[in-house]
Amino acid sequence: MMATGSASEAAPNRLRSSMLGARLSEAAWGYGFAFVPFAVFGLFFIYPFVYAVYISFFHWGILGKQPGASGTYNYSKVLHDPVFHIALKNIAEYALAVVPLEMGLGLSLALLVNGKIRGRSFFRSGFYFPSIASSVAITVIILYLFAPHGPFNTFFGFSTDWFGNASTVGWSIVGLNAWTTSGTVMIFYLAALQSIPEDVYEASALDGAGAWRTFRKITFPLLKPAHFFCLVVFGIGALKLFDQSYIVSNGTGGPNYATTTPILYIYRQAFANYDFGVAAAAGVVFLGIILVLTVAQWFTLGRQEAG
Amino acid sequence: MLQTVAAAEPSIPGRPRSQLVRRALFYGLVTILALVFFVPFIYTISTSFKTIPDSVNVSLIPHPWTTAAWSDVWRRYDFALYFKNSFFLCAVIVSCNIFLGALGGYAFARLHFPGRDLLFLIVLATIMVPDQLRLIPIYVMLVNWHLIGNFSGYILINLVTATNLFFMRQYFLTIPKDFEEAAKLDGAGHFKTFWRVMLPLALPAIGALTILQFQGTWNDFYWPVVLFQGQAHLYTIQLGLANLRFTYSTLWPEIAAGSIIAILPILVLFLALQRFFVSGAVTAGVKG
Amino acid sequence: MRKRAVVVVLGLLLVAVALAATAQAGHKSQKVTNVTFAGWSSGPDEDALDQQMANAFNASHSGIHVNWTVINGNYGDAMTARFAAHNPPDVFYVDSSVIGSWEKQGVIQPLNGFVAKSHYNTKAFYPKLLGAFKKGNTIYGFPKDWSPLATEVNNNLFGKAGIKSAPKTWAQLKSDAKTMVQKGVSKHPICLSPDWARMGAFMYQNGGSLTKNLTSKANAAAVNYYVGLLKSGLAYTPPSGSWCGQELGQGHAAIIFEGNWVLPYMKSTYPKVHYGVRPMIKGKQQGNLAFTVSWSMSKDSKNKQAAWTVLSWLVGKQGEKLWMSKGLALSPRKDVKSIGGRGPFLAAAPFARGWGFGNPNFANAYTVMGNDLNAVIAGSMSTQSMLSDVSKALKGQ
Repeated sequence: MMATGSASEAAPNRLRSSMLGARLSEAAWGYGFAFVPFAVFGLFFIYPFVYAVYISFFHWGILGKQPGASGTYNYSKVLHDPVFHIALKNIAEYALAVVPLEMGLGLSLALLVNGKIRGRSFFRSGFYFPSIASSVAITVIILYLFAPHGPFNTFFGFSTDWFGNASTVGWSIVGLNAWTTSGTVMIFYLAALQSIPEDVYEASALDGAGAWRTFRKITFPLLKPAHFFCLVVFGIGALKLFDQSYIVSNGTGGPNYATTTPILYIYRQAFANYDFGVAAAAGVVFLGIILVLTVAQWFTLGRQEAG
Repeated sequence: MLQTVAAAEPSIPGRPRSQLVRRALFYGLVTILALVFFVPFIYTISTSFKTIPDSVNVSLIPHPWTTAAWSDVWRRYDFALYFKNSFFLCAVIVSCNIFLGALGGYAFARLHFPGRDLLFLIVLATIMVPDQLRLIPIYVMLVNWHLIGNFSGYILINLVTATNLFFMRQYFLTIPKDFEEAAKLDGAGHFKTFWRVMLPLALPAIGALTILQFQGTWNDFYWPVVLFQGQAHLYTIQLGLANLRFTYSTLWPEIAAGSIIAILPILVLFLALQRFFVSGAVTAGVKG
Repeated sequence: MRKRAVVVVLGLLLVAVALAATAQAGHKSQKVTNVTFAGWSSGPDEDALDQQMANAFNASHSGIHVNWTVINGNYGDAMTARFAAHNPPDVFYVDSSVIGSWEKQGVIQPLNGFVAKSHYNTKAFYPKLLGAFKKGNTIYGFPKDWSPLATEVNNNLFGKAGIKSAPKTWAQLKSDAKTMVQKGVSKHPICLSPDWARMGAFMYQNGGSLTKNLTSKANAAAVNYYVGLLKSGLAYTPPSGSWCGQELGQGHAAIIFEGNWVLPYMKSTYPKVHYGVRPMIKGKQQGNLAFTVSWSMSKDSKNKQAAWTVLSWLVGKQGEKLWMSKGLALSPRKDVKSIGGRGPFLAAAPFARGWGFGNPNFANAYTVMGNDLNAVIAGSMSTQSMLSDVSKALKGQ
């Protein structure tokens, strides 16, 4: 690439053009590599979303456009619907409860099985086990175990209908999901913990710091990237709650709207009322909310992630 | 940290009693916790050996003991076929996700092209789109392209996920640039660098991705329900399980047996890949 | 080496995909027209019986082949997706509570033309049942069977309490329950679903109606009676994941109100429980709900004539005879007898009103019904508010 003295003026030009060529080539390869994934995302995520935005302005039935109100009617209907407000309130309470819980639980479990303890594989598998089963299977098993006259109540002497009472069902689902997701969270934190070098702990021990102090001042802050990843991924996951609330309430979102979530609301508008325009409008509104939250997280926590 | 203490301690015979007590408490706590996590599955195993009238009882021991549910599930409900179908789908979809996720992840991590960061943010944004909203447009699309009567439609929509791409990108970001520079000096082009240098370095992340995606596809319930219902030869395990819940009659023993069949492969895979998985996820989502 | 192996494996997988894709490339239809027949099943019995019906039809019709597939759980979702993509099954189940909205969405084939051309005898069907699937004079499906509610009681618990027979009136219901509590036989003898699909019968029994004047005093009084039983502790609601049939089987409830479907359920799940079936109780008058499901044809069916042949056979005299043989429900035809022992259910025929009543807003109204009723039972909503809420929802507001 280095030109000799006799072509000293041509050298920078040739260098520049070959650099430009390299850059163009790299861009081409970049687009090429990303092409298929982007095509998939475009077809199966972006297109349906754009389609949803489109139909949100019409009265839309199973077979397509129907005569009726158009324009922002659907949005007005959604924003003024008390059930949608309840859904938003429910999901906010749920996410605020379950995300710290499952992250805390996951982190604790990771700390427990991080060391060179005997039977480590057994314990890791045990804790990860609930995450492996499908949400449908787990929910069905749990409903059976926590039935009013079921094993749990019989053993501990309770008689509450945990999943059938409007006042307890929210917390029951929080408990259920924190339990099943904590295993996955544990895996991520376990991995993160491996990347913290041993000498950090040794130095801290030499300084005379106790276990809790070490954790609070050293380990926890060093896990910041893990906190961000989990917060985003599991936060969005919590906001999209559908499976458990559907199974527990038999699709009704009850009792008394206690298990109604925004996604369940969208689902009911689409598949029970066949009002796809309203469902789409609700979807767009809710997605906007998630987007704002995620961007906020990016700017506060994830800035350093930018590669 | 308990681990530090344990690691730093020399193995002297006859340790002080306080140490043993602390050890015992620790193991006791962890064991109880693990058991709590296991209890539902113990119940499931027990239920799978019960008769239907007995399955609604709370007791842990079947009364009488029967393997009827297992043979029912395997023969009458054709779980052998469902197993095969689920396995086939997992094999195909996991492979595609590994290849395409790594390819795309590498591009977003290391190659420069105009609009790269914006495009990546769009990719992330797709994680937020709920399935319920995508269902009808995608189903109509697949029907119009005649991709409904077989697996190709389902495979197409699952070729690669944004989460997997994100995961691979994070991992590639942590690999020192020296490897690529060495490859460039050797005269390797971009694909060769990716295929010969970067991909092998990413084996731990690939192990992690394998189990996560296998689990995702194996447990996928929503899409098979819509795409495959009514076409028994395409049923997956989760769909088979769902069909055991009739309106007024739930075949709990059969569901229990089916659930165990459904969980076993993932468990086996997890135990096998566990070590890769942990050290792989390390840098991926976490170091940044 | 290893990498080449990976490439080979990937290549093979791609080939496998391609093969799988093309392998299913459509059944080449011979001279036989294929008709798809789908529905859900209340239990494995019904699934097997549907298959039997398909087999019997195929044996007697050489030019048409009908394929039965069961779609359990999410039947509505699966069907909605298929309607939207214009590839639904030809013949399928439709519950009377959704026929109104499906018809309004334009996915159900009106059958009057086929009826006229083949001189089909529609008079053989009980008018109220057929009426559940008609809009005006247009027929959108034929009822395949039906069931009203009846009173089911646990004989052992009744014996222990010394009560000779099942309650026949509202007053007897209350007093029988009180006796059982006093004698320590049962803590809450009655199981009541927090469901308008049960409470609605009580509203008719008090002289009210679900289609006219929903906010009437008669309806309010019926609701108060129903909720009152729950609030007083004489009755309780089944826990999440259970239903009153299961409560009866487990011995938690002594009196429940369910339909014919509880019989096969008890037989397979709780064969040792002694229970009795009596006609539904009455209030000021007799009142009951008829739960019925039709076999209907899709508007987008590609083989409508063949589908009609299948449909008309299924719901005709021969088909219904076979359908009735397992006693899963009652016969919708005057000329086909229901299986024996169904007297208490048949007794309700004159006063059973079709559930869902063809209202296209029913699905949404039903959610409001359920959630509001739970609120009334919990004491956070008044009966009057619930009735006016539901009334508005039924009108689509």
